[in-house]
Amino acid sequence: MTTVSTVITMADTTDAATGAAPKQPKVTRRRLLTGGALVAGGALSAAGITAGLSGAASSSRDREPSPTSFGEQVEPFYGPHQAGIATPAQAHASFVAFDLQPGVDRAALGRLMRLWTDDAARLTQGQPPLADTEPELAVLPARLTITFGFGRGLLQAAGLDDQWPDAVGSLPSFSVDRLQPRWSGGDLLIQICADDPVTVSHAQRMLIKDSRPFATVRWIQQGFLRSRGAHQEGQTQRNLLGQLDGTTNPKPGTPEFDAAVWVSEGPEWLRGGSTLVLRRIRLDLDDWDRLGRVEKEYVLGRRLDNGAPLTGVEEHDPPDFDAIDESGLYVIPEFSHIRRAHVPDPRLRMFRRFYNYDQALGADGQAEAGMIFAAYQADVQRQFVPVQRKLAEADLLNKWTIPIGSAVFAIPPGCEPGGWIGERLLA
Amino acid sequence: MLASPRRLLATVITATVLAVLLPATPAAAHNQLINTVPERDAVLQDPPAEVVLEFVERLDPKFTTIVVTDAGRQTVATSSPEISGSRGVVRFPEPLAPGTYTVAYRVVSLDGHPVQGSFRFTVGGDTPAVAASDEPAETAAPDASATDNDTTSGVSGTTIAVSVGLAAVVLALVVGVLLRRRSRSEQR
Repeated sequence: MTTVSTVITMADTTDAATGAAPKQPKVTRRRLLTGGALVAGGALSAAGITAGLSGAASSSRDREPSPTSFGEQVEPFYGPHQAGIATPAQAHASFVAFDLQPGVDRAALGRLMRLWTDDAARLTQGQPPLADTEPELAVLPARLTITFGFGRGLLQAAGLDDQWPDAVGSLPSFSVDRLQPRWSGGDLLIQICADDPVTVSHAQRMLIKDSRPFATVRWIQQGFLRSRGAHQEGQTQRNLLGQLDGTTNPKPGTPEFDAAVWVSEGPEWLRGGSTLVLRRIRLDLDDWDRLGRVEKEYVLGRRLDNGAPLTGVEEHDPPDFDAIDESGLYVIPEFSHIRRAHVPDPRLRMFRRFYNYDQALGADGQAEAGMIFAAYQADVQRQFVPVQRKLAEADLLNKWTIPIGSAVFAIPPGCEPGGWIGERLLA
Repeated sequence: MLASPRRLLATVITATVLAVLLPATPAAAHNQLINTVPERDAVLQDPPAEVVLEFVERLDPKFTTIVVTDAGRQTVATSSPEISGSRGVVRFPEPLAPGTYTVAYRVVSLDGHPVQGSFRFTVGGDTPAVAASDEPAETAAPDASATDNDTTSGVSGTTIAVSVGLAAVVLALVVGVLLRRRSRSEQR
């Protein structure tokens, strides 16, 4: 393959320039696809490329300012959990769902996941994967995370449907649903997040290219939050309704978060993983704009400016759902979103990691804005379904939020160097 | 440094008008309350069996709340609201003791906008102190600014009354100052 020989050539050039001993790439694409071990040697060849790039550019680099710190910032890839869940939300995201090609079986899925794991391990560390035809685009990872999810269809294709956790099951239909097949379902998911959109785009392209013998793209949902550095680190993000969204999220790093998010029961292959409910929620912003500001706050149950509950002063004041005004009505209305969504025990809450979306004009000439609602939880049936039911029954916010897509994925646990995502299920 | 008298007056007037028009409760553009039984501020000899609220638009049972509280702001037991069209009814399982009661409602207009308000009625006619509860019964003729609490117009009557009163006082003060200043300057 031409691409492989290009790799070797560049490495030779570098080594001649720096005088270091030439390094042979120890891992080839063929070895990877036939299940060879992933060795640190793979990283060496990539390092050769990066060294070559910096060597060749040294003279021009002197004239350019050095990249800002966050472009080079790296999130670890290996570990007991996949990255991209507890990771502080990056500014840009792309969710890509795939349908498996007919005939893809357990062995093929193993080959795909080994390849994708290798791609992700490199890309997230700022190294181009093997056969990356635009390696320069991989050099600024900007906290890139790549998170893999398995739909039920994948387990069925692998002949492992009995391993599908009951805790995930399937989502019932809710009265508020207006689901479109083009935004729903999927056998496989990749969640790509980074603080730089070029990084996301490149990673997405690389992973889609490597999927081609195994799967086709079903849908892509792209979203954004505040740019890195636009507001203070750790500040709650706003959705396009203008609402501060995520105030009561379990906090990563706390025991409540671990209990709420990481699977600790059920099939062994998923322990230490999680589950993901991904819903595309269209916002009727033109209609929302017709509400007065006070009316919006009654619908939400929180102030818009600082996110304080209507019974409180600061964002993190606990709401007082028993407080009554002088006429006898609850201060936080019965139909308000925070009352309908309230889960008293933080260990049973879902962890919401949403992204805004704002599409170009569709076929009907309308721009569409909304939210990619990504909820992580240990148990979809216990943590997501009851809340969604309560919302569907009587949350006034439903009038302006319309679910138009829905998908559920099992998120496998992380892996160590030498391993691959999903090996406890598919190996 | 000081604004001209005319500009100052204009600012005061604008501020007063804005204060009256910007409500602190949800604006009732749509589903206003048009009729109640008992009527607002009614004084009844006998306790009513039910309260009926009639609105402009039909009600959504999912988003209709009707709450009755007594003079001590304790909730009075009622049935859940029975909705038919634009009417909501709550019934009392127990007859009400004499006293003043507040009926508060929260509904949603057809376009989703929330609306809320309240009104009062009194049971027990003109004998003030026969209350079973510890709280003294309201007198039969409460002062005007306290009764009318219906916010269906988007601004409570109390707010209007207070705002207009305040505005009148401020206006009078400003005009007084300006006149005095003008007469003083004319004297020079």
